[in-house]
Amino acid sequence: MDADDQELFIEGHPCVVVDSVEMRYRVASSAASDAGPQDTAPRFFRRAVNKSNMVTVHALNKLSLVVERGESVGIIGRNGSGKSTLMKIISGQSKPSKGAVYASSTPIMLGVNAALVQDLSGDQNVILGCLAMGMSRAEVDRKFSSIVELSGLEKSIHLPMKSYSSGMASRLRFAIAASVDPEILLVDEALNTGDAQFADRSKLRMDELREQAGCVFLVSHSLDTIKDMCTRVVWLDKGDLIMDGEPETAIKAYQDFTRHLSKGNNISAARILDEAKANLVATEVRGRSSRRSRG
Amino acid sequence: MSADSAIDPEPVAVQPLSVDMRRLTRVGSRPSFLDYLVRLWDFRQFMFYDARARIQSGTRRDRLGSAWLLLNPVFNGLTYFLIFGLLLNTSRGIENFVGYLVVGIFVFQYSSGAITSGARSIRNNKSVVQAFNFPRAALPIGANLRELLRAVPLILAMLLIVVLLPPGEEITWLWILVVPAILLQALFNLGVGLILARIIARVHDVTHLLPFALRAWMYGSAIFFSYDRFVTHPQILAIIKLNPLFNVIDIVRNCVLYATVPQWQSWAILAAWALGALGLGLVYFWKGEESYGRG
Repeated sequence: MDADDQELFIEGHPCVVVDSVEMRYRVASSAASDAGPQDTAPRFFRRAVNKSNMVTVHALNKLSLVVERGESVGIIGRNGSGKSTLMKIISGQSKPSKGAVYASSTPIMLGVNAALVQDLSGDQNVILGCLAMGMSRAEVDRKFSSIVELSGLEKSIHLPMKSYSSGMASRLRFAIAASVDPEILLVDEALNTGDAQFADRSKLRMDELREQAGCVFLVSHSLDTIKDMCTRVVWLDKGDLIMDGEPETAIKAYQDFTRHLSKGNNISAARILDEAKANLVATEVRGRSSRRSRG
Repeated sequence: MSADSAIDPEPVAVQPLSVDMRRLTRVGSRPSFLDYLVRLWDFRQFMFYDARARIQSGTRRDRLGSAWLLLNPVFNGLTYFLIFGLLLNTSRGIENFVGYLVVGIFVFQYSSGAITSGARSIRNNKSVVQAFNFPRAALPIGANLRELLRAVPLILAMLLIVVLLPPGEEITWLWILVVPAILLQALFNLGVGLILARIIARVHDVTHLLPFALRAWMYGSAIFFSYDRFVTHPQILAIIKLNPLFNVIDIVRNCVLYATVPQWQSWAILAAWALGALGLGLVYFWKGEESYGRG
């Protein structure tokens, strides 16, 4: 077969395989229904059978990625480009409409997403959150003081969550999520909040985790951070994969693109986009369950 | 619906990539049923902690603290004694009517509370579900553990009232049988809670119907009257007496109030309901494992 000659092989074991993932949402639109006046079904009825003014939003178009151990992948793109959607799919928080994500261990998303129970106190939330991540009680006790230290909450840790400011709560969330040492780490910096003092501390811990992790996905609006940390950059725009390659080239193209946009040169910006797309080589994942047969 | 008609632009070039998938698992996939049970067992500390922490936080604001867990049902029982025993002085042809009523209400109250919290456990903890990757059945089980722990002071208060208020029943060895009866009831509650948790996670409207269904069930469980008074048809009576909650109440009444050994038929009916509901509930809940908290 011809196609087989061109097939690339990944030897060894990849950390994450994103296989033809697509994400669509159906949401209610406030725009007037196009069903017209002949549609006499009562509104509540249409709502009950889920046929009210629904519109499909393509958050992410068909996308495949294979990420190997040791890679750090930076994801860049404008707002609404599908970065966070992709991260949520990889971490398992959302289920893709089509396709699937395969991983060698449970990916952990680091951000402020670790849920907290409002009625419980901070320390109870720490223990509960750690147990929910699969730690044993002894492990939680060992890590407890370092989590509290990282959160910087000190005595407030014994107060109920209800009394926390949003900054305090997100610091605690981060500290809980950062207490595991995951093999596959996802960092959504766009979500990161906190004062300067906490920012330093959290950056330190994030660097530590990044060094230990087998592979890292990073969403950040700071292109410098991405350039420093990543070995590979994925550029998304309006749910499409635009570029997947060296950080230098991808970031340069993206910067060109945004510069043209901010000047109002929409046409030249679109040209950059089209050019990048034309050079894109999309990946098609072909799983094999046995080693490549030699000979 | 313009968004619907957007066509995915086909990528210019496609590179097939062969990947060794053997060590990879699909993110968020549902394990086999046995693996699922094993994982649940691994998360036992999470369930216990969840149950305990939430009980403590429930009465934290009160000066008497956890004493309310016992005082609340005691006052509840005293109210019934005041109204039915002293003011109305009715017996409706039932020996020790106040005891009869208190046992019925307290035992039923345990079930209705446990079924309600089990049923709502997934919906109410959506953020926890989205943030952490644990077997979701841990939440309904945790909620049922919590209700079982809360039932301990409830049952103690019930026994206290039966002993202290006139006619003052005597403590016999038969009282020990209350323990297995309540445990079987707990299994039944859990099974029903698991089934409802999956339904409510999908169709939230069911939560609004639940209180009505439970109230109808309460009136149908011979709490304020005895079946024999209203139902004369022997076959219909036999069918009504299959009601699992009636059987728990009947067993407890026989042990505590009338010092008679409960019939083996009651135990058999109750055990069949308990194990049947639990088995069905676990399987049904497990089948929906991938859907909870996602979209």
